[in-house]
Amino acid sequence: MRRLLKLSLQKPEMAASLLLLLLVLFFQVRSDMVFLSYDNLRGMLGYLPEVGLVAVGVTLLMICGEFDLSVGSVFALMPMTMAVMMVAGWGFWPATGLGLLVCAFVGFLNGWITIKFAIPSFITTLGMLFMARSLTVVISGGFPPRLNMADIPEHLFISYVGPGDLFRASFLWFVGISILISLLLSKTNFGNWVRATGGYLPAAEALGIPANKVKIACFMICSVLAGLAGLFQVLRLGSPLPSIGEGLELQAVAAAVIGGTALGGGIGSILGGIIGALLIRVIDNGMVMSQVDSNWFKFAVGALTILAVVGNSWLRKRGRAMKVETER
Amino acid sequence: MQNFKGLALAAVLSSVSGAALAQDPLDIAFTVHSGSSNTFWQAVQKGYEDACAKVAATCQMVYVQTDGSVQEQVANMEAALARKPDALITSIVDNAAFDDVIKRARDAGVIVIASNVDDLEGAAGNARQAFIGQGFVAAGMSLGRAQSANFPADGPIRVLVGVSAPGQNWSEQRALGVMNFMDEYIAANPTRDIKYERIDSGTDLAVVSDRIGAYLLANPETNAYFDTGFWHAGVARVLADRGVEPGKVLLGGFDLVPEVLEQMKAGYVQVQVDQQPYMQGFMPVMQVYLAKTIGLAPSDIDTGQGIVTPDMVDAIMEMSAKGLR
Repeated sequence: MRRLLKLSLQKPEMAASLLLLLLVLFFQVRSDMVFLSYDNLRGMLGYLPEVGLVAVGVTLLMICGEFDLSVGSVFALMPMTMAVMMVAGWGFWPATGLGLLVCAFVGFLNGWITIKFAIPSFITTLGMLFMARSLTVVISGGFPPRLNMADIPEHLFISYVGPGDLFRASFLWFVGISILISLLLSKTNFGNWVRATGGYLPAAEALGIPANKVKIACFMICSVLAGLAGLFQVLRLGSPLPSIGEGLELQAVAAAVIGGTALGGGIGSILGGIIGALLIRVIDNGMVMSQVDSNWFKFAVGALTILAVVGNSWLRKRGRAMKVETER
Repeated sequence: MQNFKGLALAAVLSSVSGAALAQDPLDIAFTVHSGSSNTFWQAVQKGYEDACAKVAATCQMVYVQTDGSVQEQVANMEAALARKPDALITSIVDNAAFDDVIKRARDAGVIVIASNVDDLEGAAGNARQAFIGQGFVAAGMSLGRAQSANFPADGPIRVLVGVSAPGQNWSEQRALGVMNFMDEYIAANPTRDIKYERIDSGTDLAVVSDRIGAYLLANPETNAYFDTGFWHAGVARVLADRGVEPGKVLLGGFDLVPEVLEQMKAGYVQVQVDQQPYMQGFMPVMQVYLAKTIGLAPSDIDTGQGIVTPDMVDAIMEMSAKGLR
């Protein structure tokens, strides 16, 4: 039992999970039991895959020891590419395929430039943030092209599914992809390479791990997930505005950090990133529900980010200090 | 009327301008507080560029990298001034930050015209020569008044006002206009139970949908939501998803973008105020041209508090697709 407690306390997502539980209870009471109502859950679960997928990609990349600040812009670039191509007469699938290829290319460029020129990914992707946003505006001509929803297989992406139509199809995509990436991280050589590359690069290289390829792969996965998330949002809201996803990069980094991912790399979990993203949504939604003065929204997200990280560090220390008998 | 005069004048000018300015093209810079990804501004830019082409002026539109960043906009104005342009057109989203740079521009003989957003004190606020745009408080009142015709005839009325960008003149003034109207409405209906509330609604379609969606669940008695931008289009989607019938929660806001027009057709948005962004880009250039060629003083133009209702949508959609509205 004590051993289990020690292991739990050392899990990176522990503090965020506890905070999430407390906040959900708090908002449920403060909102006169409306917070966990069917309609509100449905709304939040519709939005979660979009921010969640971005957080999953950013978390993976941060575990690998790198940053991606361009995710918010790629979030807009992918659906805009798709929409522009559809207006030009392409079918949904080729247009979507091209959009995802563009994302993969952006991710590749982020990784290649970072490695080739040995510059911090913070800088490379900061540059890409501006470039990708600008490209989005340029290809759209500034005006959002109108999507013909009849050409889009909505049932595969945004239609309601599941018990009582509680989820959208995008939620299933999100869960499936998150499980896949979690398995990739925990059950495969690639996962070990990611942690080793992010944990201590010289040692990883000495062990013969292809660290550069691992990093580029993580950059590409991160960009493709951001693009896919943008596609979900545009299909859900029906309008490929060039401004979507602005500021999402900081939210995604906050989600990863709240979920226990170390800024220096090596430590973190996909579940933690998802919990972090969920926590931010819960705070935003819950504060509206409980009629808190809206000028405090950002303060709350900021304070909880710090609280979650401090809590994480404290819990981990407690876990490490806890003595358990070793088996003979 | 003033608008029609202006447009007619512009049409006449367009036929003679090319030759008149062939020798010495006007150099004009337009600095704004928005990032280039905001759809609304693309219509302003289109008007601006069309006007520049008509008078063969050399023109540049300068956006900021961070939406709403006053300091970035001031820096852009400084950079534009260093080129010694004939005229500087700018939105004035802060009451003090632009005073110095506008004064220096005027001292250097540069024509300065405010477009889209003005100092709260108007002409007294700084040295700009004219304002071409919407009177925001008045537009907010117009919106409130137009939507009030759809308020329930009896029973309590609960209204939510979404301030898209707290602290920014355009958003705060529009919200103030709606709230001023609500105060008037409450005073005119002393026997009825009427209340309104404001909220930080945001400028991202997904965030606004989530926040207002949550508010409506916590406050199901809400009758109407006013947005100070066009982001209530996302709220319409939420209502449709929940199976709420059009009109049960009245929606209204500002500016015409395709998504809002579609939601007007669907019946979820009843009233929208159009500030005619194309004109906000077009007319300042014409005023600069007149000032430079025949010495006419730039003057204010109210680009409109035009109320758009669902029956007008089809015609507008055509213009919107061309980037003109």
